[in-house]
Amino acid sequence: MKCTMCGTTAGCSGCPIASDFYLPETLAALEVGARGTVRRLASPNGADLRRLLALGVLPGVELEVERRWPAMVVRMGYARVALDAGLAEGVVVSRV
Amino acid sequence: MLDWLRTDFNYGYPAVTPRTGVLTPRAAAVLPGAGADRWLLVGAPNVGKSALFGQLTGVYATVSNYPGTSVEVTSGTRDRDGRAVRVEDCPGMYSLLAVTEEERVARREVLGADERAIVHVVDASHLDRALPLTLQLLATGKPLVLACNHMDEARSRGIALDLPLLAERLGIPVVGTVATTGEGVDALAAAAFAAPVPTDGWGLPHPFAAAASPLAGDAGSTLVAELALCGDPDLAASLAEGDPVRWREAVAARDAQWRSAEEFAVALATARRRMVLALLEGVVPEAPTARRRRGAALDRVLLSPWTGFPIVLLVLYAGFYKFVGGFGAQTAVNWIESAVFARWIIPPVAAAVRGLVPWAPVQDLLVGPYGLFTLGVRYAVAIVLPIVGAFFLVFALLEDCGYLPRLALLLDRGLKRIGLSGRAVIPLVLGFGCNTMATLVTRTLETSRERIIVTLLLALAIPCSAQLGVVLGILSVYPSAVAVWIGVLLGVFVFVGYLTARLLPGEPPSFYLELPPLRLPVLRNVLVKTGTRVRWYFAEIFPLFLLASALLWVGELTGALRGATRLLEPVVRLIGLPNDAAPAFLYGFFRRDFGAAGLFDLARAGVLGPAGLTTAAVTITLFVPCIAQFLMMRKERGPRMALTVLVVATGVAFSVGGLVGWLLRAVGGWA
Repeated sequence: MKCTMCGTTAGCSGCPIASDFYLPETLAALEVGARGTVRRLASPNGADLRRLLALGVLPGVELEVERRWPAMVVRMGYARVALDAGLAEGVVVSRV
Repeated sequence: MLDWLRTDFNYGYPAVTPRTGVLTPRAAAVLPGAGADRWLLVGAPNVGKSALFGQLTGVYATVSNYPGTSVEVTSGTRDRDGRAVRVEDCPGMYSLLAVTEEERVARREVLGADERAIVHVVDASHLDRALPLTLQLLATGKPLVLACNHMDEARSRGIALDLPLLAERLGIPVVGTVATTGEGVDALAAAAFAAPVPTDGWGLPHPFAAAASPLAGDAGSTLVAELALCGDPDLAASLAEGDPVRWREAVAARDAQWRSAEEFAVALATARRRMVLALLEGVVPEAPTARRRRGAALDRVLLSPWTGFPIVLLVLYAGFYKFVGGFGAQTAVNWIESAVFARWIIPPVAAAVRGLVPWAPVQDLLVGPYGLFTLGVRYAVAIVLPIVGAFFLVFALLEDCGYLPRLALLLDRGLKRIGLSGRAVIPLVLGFGCNTMATLVTRTLETSRERIIVTLLLALAIPCSAQLGVVLGILSVYPSAVAVWIGVLLGVFVFVGYLTARLLPGEPPSFYLELPPLRLPVLRNVLVKTGTRVRWYFAEIFPLFLLASALLWVGELTGALRGATRLLEPVVRLIGLPNDAAPAFLYGFFRRDFGAAGLFDLARAGVLGPAGLTTAAVTITLFVPCIAQFLMMRKERGPRMALTVLVVATGVAFSVGGLVGWLLRAVGGWA
């Protein structure tokens, strides 16, 4: 995906222009140990959005990937949630 | 900082005694809602709701089915100053925007028009995740109390909570509890009894309130309007029916600003989360001292496929094969059957009946070969109870320590192949205890496609514990027979699952759940859960055992039994079994385990050899579901689906059984 500001696809942590812009990635693309902030829920599927809501995966939430296989395990504060790659595809995050 | 969020917040209420734990609402006695004598426990799964329920009501909790609805709400009573307070425990829910059937059940309870006080049970460590629901519950206009459970875990994580401050901001009593030890339970009861009606100080944030307000009048509350606009199908339908014009206008206004119900829901949830974070400022420490999570290493071992799968097998072997199959089905059954029943109970009862009742058919009805006592009570108490009890004990143990969600995660990928998600693990495993109960539990699955697949697999390839115990007991003499039996069932399970998933239309399932921390099982919880399930089981099946005995007695008396048996004989011979096996299949119609127990008698008499036993075991396991399961399928899936499953199961049972019998005879060797 491209940066929301300048369109670069390379990493841009510490973007020189502004902190509001970010390089979007899907949660499914984060590796184990990576941390990110949820920016937006991009799932085209209404049911998936409702599932993410039930899990508490919302814009502004910070999360850390603990495991990717056999399903993703994500830590959010003291809570840990498991979700499959299909759902994680619909979560747009920026790395912390 | 918080003021911009408050719409109409009453600062004066309730009186707070700083940091002394529980608060007594000021002048509680005169407030509306004070003295609430019906409490409804609401909360997410895994926050310790059931344990708290047990603490509030004592072990004498009664399980009740709500008539007419498909609700499983547990209820019990608590004595308070001589008044009986009725406590009800809802199925777990994450939000009022129901995704699963059980959440729909819980939501209906919450929105129902009655005078119940709501006790919202939350996990003290995850207040930020739970409070959005609290804010919604505030809008129901019912007396509300917040119970922060698992305070001990929060403390051990170094989270020091300022509950009085939270109570002041929310305007409702907030009580810290530890359900496993009973800490704070009395305080919670006192608070719930005097629960005030909240002042609705935390309404919808600005743009959303404007969207919902035109509907609020018809809906009865902004909460219903909010849920309908968020896309709840039931509530949307009822609002659209009430005033179609106004509903269409509201939807158009929503879509103009947010495009769809789902995006409205996400935007609202995001705004509400911001409200919650503001609300929690100062309540939850800013940066809690990070400590290593207890059990993190063990958790990695359980979740990693390399170590996780061997552990699954170990749990299956030790817990189910050894404990349920070995101890429950053999040691305990043998002892109760041959020592207690055969020696101490049956002879005196039989002698007494024969002495008191002169008429032979009535003697038979009570203590004959199909007698209510000798067959019904003996099978139920001596054969089924020890096995089922042992199973429910192991299941409750796994449930209480948090292993089941991990099992779901491990098996998710495999289950996706047969059209299911990891969540299906729970009904499928429970099916090994009681298929009827498991059919009910399919409600926790999201789509009707998943529910149908699981219902079919339960009816067909999952033996219930009574059946499992009896079959393993019979076959254990021949290890290769056990292997054939397990192999055939697994094959049928995978094949039928794969085929059904291909044939049934629908979206592929998705998997998501919250992983609760691993906890040491609490003996009391485990015993209460086991006891509740065993009681449910008995209430459900004991009458059927007696009915079956009575029907068999009538059949024997009128000769209908011999006729029916004779009808079955050709079918039984077709799959290579002796005629004597026919009655066992007949029993199977009444109870799956009844049929298996009939085989038990045959094996003991030495009528069947190993090949015959294996064939019979396979056929009877795959054979039709018992009456109780059939009725449950009808209730949950409708009569058409129940009949379809019945026909499919019978067909598969006899064709697979016949095939196995033929193969075993062709191979020869141990027949």
